Amino acid sequence: MKSIWENYKTDVAYDELMYSEFQSRPVSHSLCQYLNSLNKEDIDKRKIAAELAIMEMGITFTVYSDEGNIDRAWPFDIIPRIIDAKEWMIIEKGLKQRLAALNHFISDVYGEQLFIKEGKIPDSTINSSKNFRKECIGMKPMHNVWANICGTDLVRDKDGIMYVLEDNLRVPSGVSYMLENRVITKRVFPELLQDINIMPIDDYPTQLQDMLTSIAPYKNNNPQIVVLTPGIYNSAYFEHAYLARQMGAQLVEGNDLIVKSDDCVYMRTIEGLEKVDVIYRRIDDDFLDPEVFKKDSALGVRGLMRAWKAGNVALANAPGAGVADDKVVYAYVPEMIRYYLNEEPILPNVPTYLCSNKADLDYVMEHLAELVVKPANESGGYGMLVGPHSSNKEVEAFRKVILADPRNYIGQPTLSISTAPTLCKGRLEPRHVDLRPFILQGENTFVTAGGLTRVALKKGSLVVNSSQGGGSKDTWIINMENS
Amino acid sequence: MLSRSAERLYWLARYMERTENTAKLVSVHMNLLMDLPKGVEMGWQQLIHINGSEQEFLEKNKTINERTVTRFLLADPNYLGSLFSSLCAARENIRTTRELLPDEAWEQVNEMYLFAKKNLDNVANRRSRVIFLNEILKGCQRFTGLLSGYMSHHHPYRFIRLGRHLERADMTSRILDLASLLLSESRSDELRQYETILWMNILTSLNALLMYRQYVRSRIQGDDILNFLLHDENLPSSVTYCLSEIAHSINQLPNHDSLPEKISDLSAYVQAISTQNTTQLQLRRILDDLQNKLGSLHGQIADNWFLKMAVQSQ
Repeated sequence: MKSIWENYKTDVAYDELMYSEFQSRPVSHSLCQYLNSLNKEDIDKRKIAAELAIMEMGITFTVYSDEGNIDRAWPFDIIPRIIDAKEWMIIEKGLKQRLAALNHFISDVYGEQLFIKEGKIPDSTINSSKNFRKECIGMKPMHNVWANICGTDLVRDKDGIMYVLEDNLRVPSGVSYMLENRVITKRVFPELLQDINIMPIDDYPTQLQDMLTSIAPYKNNNPQIVVLTPGIYNSAYFEHAYLARQMGAQLVEGNDLIVKSDDCVYMRTIEGLEKVDVIYRRIDDDFLDPEVFKKDSALGVRGLMRAWKAGNVALANAPGAGVADDKVVYAYVPEMIRYYLNEEPILPNVPTYLCSNKADLDYVMEHLAELVVKPANESGGYGMLVGPHSSNKEVEAFRKVILADPRNYIGQPTLSISTAPTLCKGRLEPRHVDLRPFILQGENTFVTAGGLTRVALKKGSLVVNSSQGGGSKDTWIINMENS
Repeated sequence: MLSRSAERLYWLARYMERTENTAKLVSVHMNLLMDLPKGVEMGWQQLIHINGSEQEFLEKNKTINERTVTRFLLADPNYLGSLFSSLCAARENIRTTRELLPDEAWEQVNEMYLFAKKNLDNVANRRSRVIFLNEILKGCQRFTGLLSGYMSHHHPYRFIRLGRHLERADMTSRILDLASLLLSESRSDELRQYETILWMNILTSLNALLMYRQYVRSRIQGDDILNFLLHDENLPSSVTYCLSEIAHSINQLPNHDSLPEKISDLSAYVQAISTQNTTQLQLRRILDDLQNKLGSLHGQIADNWFLKMAVQSQ
């Protein structure tokens, strides 16, 4: 019988679980021992069991294509990704630090603008940011926190160091999949979970509810919280419904809500109109309120900004928070940490070349074939160039795109993103992974134990987005000292 | 509770009830036809007639036989009244109200949908059709049971109950319409010969045979059966029972406006229907009228509680 580990290559990049084909890292000893006790058939059975559970639980995401929208089963790899709790504690601190600084920055941008006045960031970078909303100037959300929910993408380079790739401060998604992945793992490997000391993650909905309660406009221990979804055909609708039901909150669409002349938000219920205190909105700023932003938005609520500015409703994340979710602004986060918190950044940024700077642009042009170049404001892995994986022609075409709008592009060295063993046709193969922990900040700050590990299922691919052939793994934070 | 959710739960219940009713109807009819000689008026075309979909059926099929009718009624994804379409619509409604229902409810409907989708081709074959229908019937019962046992019987549950019983009353009235054939003066001698079996079949398709035996105790005869299915206060499929369930739900819901009076009027109307010596023509007229009244009751429920701008479902 051939081992599922046969020919497992660890020279591709840093591997999260293995030193080599034959040697596991300390965190993954128990897992590897367990996997070795199973034969190929056992493993196949677990994989099928997981797929069945996903189908029956109806864990889906939607793919938009010319042939219409298709609900696909969530692609899940049964082999977990493991991180040592000792390392995790440092990452957790770093994430809290980062979000605290980002929230100071957003408050500053819509307030005194000291960071700009002191020359830490060019005025033009803020003013030209697509996500800077002048309508928000002068606003003071509860606790001075604008980004209440943040999904930060982390990657580990070949040096073994975790870098922050980006901060998602608009409407980050994926947390429901993180939670469901654990549910599936419990079904598939019940024996294993009993023996290993894995930090639980299922308190997230409670933490989310506590955070949302803490930002209610009036001191209120039982505010009316709603989740605002763009609708049943949105690709993340599953997640919106999931979080609403876990919190016991109402899941509403734009036309369930109405803003009356008293500038309060109400929802249409069978008992008439009921006042809403906190809105966890999963709609982009652009579509939030046709009175202020996109005029033809049918997803949002007319007058919502009025209600928010009058202090009658809390919005999470606050409108305008996306100004810090810009790949150019990203480059300044370490400086923000020093400036606002007077601390050194715990988590490093990936070195970033801003094409808006003449010197940086020259460097990017010269090294285009080695770099990753991304648009400042896109998400989902679209519209980017991975130099080393692109043809000459593609590189040259992209060069023109950058030169046409330098402000909108940043360049970064191509990282050798870490790999983790992934089940591919009955064998384990290394596949590139990233990690998206979720951070909540209201009155207090909370970080999920781990996060959503996304994995590029295609061999050699670095793109982990589910819309582009990515899958996900359960993420285990293991306490080695107590096990 | 959101008006939008109320509407979705109401339709969820109607579609689940319709799924179950269609499965039951086809299943009972199969059994019946095994007992009857060929050529009796009670052929497969009657099932198409019950759903009022002769025209659509004939556009798609040249012949009326077991294969074409069962495929149309059970598996045709483009016919909105088919079992599969009802199940798909139920699933879409529960998918979009998951936050209000126990997990198991969604999983139950989703499993049924996956099962049906996988087995659509099997309905052509009589033996696998029996298995298919049994699975669906069991699934519907599990769904009803787990909601009743796991869910607070509060507003969301009341809308489910409302939808279920309105759909059920509608189905009973349609099956009684079929029964009116048995009262036709011009019915063939052959049909007269099998009358008892046919009346029993009517009862069975509404899960009412055993209860009829227990509570009516007379021999199987048309007048008594009509009376039982219209007026019995305790039989879950009788029109009167369904109306009292509807009334009960409506009375417990907020802002019911003038609906309680409207239900009372409707109940009084049903009570006044006399089943003694009714001719086929009279019965059909009454049932037509009843179906219209149920239709306008739905309209009033929608006006009262549902989102005015919501897209109208089927």
